[in-house]
Amino acid sequence: MSAPATSIKGRAFGDRVLLALVILLSIVMIAPVLWVIGLSLKENAELMADPNSVFHAPYTLKNYLNTIGTSSVFLWVGNSIIVSGGLTIGTLVLSSLAGYGFARLNFPGRNVLFVIVLFGLAVPEQAVLVARHQIFSILKFHNTYHGLILPGLSASFGVFLMTQYFKAIPKELDEAAMLDNASRFRIFWKVLLPLTVPAQATLGIFTFLGAWNDYLWPLISATKKDMYTLTVGMASTQTNFAQSEGIGFLMAQAVFAGAPILIVYLFFQKYIVTAVSGAAVR
Amino acid sequence: MTAEIEIRNVSKHFGAMAVLEDLSLSIKAREFIVFLGPSGCGKSTLLRMIAGLETVDSGEIAINNERIDHLPPGKRGIAMVFQSYALYPHMSVRDNMAFGLENIGMSREVIDARINEAARILEMAHLLERKPGQLSGGQRQRVAIGRAIVKEPKAFLFDEPLSNLDAALRTRTRIELAQLHQRLQSTMIFVTHDQVEAMTLADRIVVMNNRRIEQIGSPMEIYERPATKFVAGFVGAPAMNFVEATVDRSAGNATVRFADGMSVRTEIASSQLTGGKHSFGIRSEDVRIVPVGQGNTDGVVDVLERLGERTLIYARLGDGQQIVGSDVGNSRVAVGHKVGLAFDGQKSHLFNETGRAWHAREA
Repeated sequence: MSAPATSIKGRAFGDRVLLALVILLSIVMIAPVLWVIGLSLKENAELMADPNSVFHAPYTLKNYLNTIGTSSVFLWVGNSIIVSGGLTIGTLVLSSLAGYGFARLNFPGRNVLFVIVLFGLAVPEQAVLVARHQIFSILKFHNTYHGLILPGLSASFGVFLMTQYFKAIPKELDEAAMLDNASRFRIFWKVLLPLTVPAQATLGIFTFLGAWNDYLWPLISATKKDMYTLTVGMASTQTNFAQSEGIGFLMAQAVFAGAPILIVYLFFQKYIVTAVSGAAVR
Repeated sequence: MTAEIEIRNVSKHFGAMAVLEDLSLSIKAREFIVFLGPSGCGKSTLLRMIAGLETVDSGEIAINNERIDHLPPGKRGIAMVFQSYALYPHMSVRDNMAFGLENIGMSREVIDARINEAARILEMAHLLERKPGQLSGGQRQRVAIGRAIVKEPKAFLFDEPLSNLDAALRTRTRIELAQLHQRLQSTMIFVTHDQVEAMTLADRIVVMNNRRIEQIGSPMEIYERPATKFVAGFVGAPAMNFVEATVDRSAGNATVRFADGMSVRTEIASSQLTGGKHSFGIRSEDVRIVPVGQGNTDGVVDVLERLGERTLIYARLGDGQQIVGSDVGNSRVAVGHKVGLAFDGQKSHLFNETGRAWHAREA
């Protein structure tokens, strides 16, 4: 009798340790966010005089009002939404079509083509950066939205993910739909595509977050301030904050910049957890 | 609407492997026909070729004298119920049933009327707004049948539709399918490897083995007059007993002599038999358990299977061969007992080395 009791006690102790660890990690992660929000609510002069003033009143919304009034952060957020959204939609459309093709259609060279697509996973972006820059210069794609979106559409991971997902859907569904007199496109659109929503959500979230956080290509392609994405814009502000707006203003911009991504998380929380846990299981 | 289906000299290969070879078959209108055979015999492939889900390498398939083997599946006027049911998981039951009708541009009123009628026949009106994931296995089975019924097809194809159900539900659904056939009077083709399903459902059974048809006949023809040793062994539970024995053809009727010197006189004319070795075949219900020395041979009981209304006795003969006999439900025989085995000569069968059969009794 004592062995199970010890085991339960041991498990309870283990659970408590785990809980303490989770709380500690949460504090480590939340602290910088709270720090940013705290700084954004303080006057710059006050922060300069005493960095610890963030822990006590007075607090002010002046930095937020200045951000709304004078900063380009909304323009950059808009650019990021267009680029990330466009890239996400484009990736979902192309990856779904390609995934369906690789999973369901028999055509000559299919396997070779699939391997070539997979090789794309092994090529780092930096390796093709110079060539891409040259090509985009010739095509006059720099400082345009499509110049920022197009490179991301060659999504090897997306094609791979959707191919595997389509393969996992039983072929009997296609066959039942064929017997139901459905055309190939109708089978894709009405029967198979709706079943890939979990994979689409996973791919969409990862693509959107990746595009939102991307810095290198927008830094190269978007040289005009009004075409900056948020990451590039924020970085450009950061280099001269000490001389001009100040740290409180910078943090208020950061809060604005983080808001869209927070909204994405809130709306797609379920899918994000599934996506991340699914990736872990695989 | 119903269909006569004609399959002429059909062959099918997957790469170098032949799956069906030069197979011909006529299915009558309103007939319930069952393709029966072991896994890999080609029965499902034949069904899928009729459905249009597999191409025909050579030969022809016609429905009501109209060749259909070049038509896409949706244009053949047939409906199929899959082993896995293949319901569209994201659609409600109603949408599952409506999908095929929407694809041919049928009006909403007609679609609704057909769905409601099918739901009434299958007693599943309360399930129409549910998704397949919210249904039990039996209910999914009904929906799959309903999806076929609403199309009012010329023929129904069933690809092992009962194999995912538990034993009780399988029996109930089997009866319902038989009733459905009587009600709809449609041509139905049913694929199974379960000989009980075949025997209980079929007007005619097509027994298939090794890429070809072994025998076509009514269930009792197949059971009582199997054309080959394979059919005799495959149909019936327990399987027919086969005993290697010497056949004495000196008299008018063949006499089978066992290793212990005892014998049974069959009702098979010696003149019909070809030369070479023969196996003696007899079903367990035609082997009675009698006192030692009073039967055609003796054996020692290895195993007893009490089925309630009768007891199956597995007895080992002197030469090591095993025979299954049948005794009353409360049989007093025990494992290790020596018993006599009396064979009904009028119900005996002989098989030559190629598997060809001779029977004692007219069907």
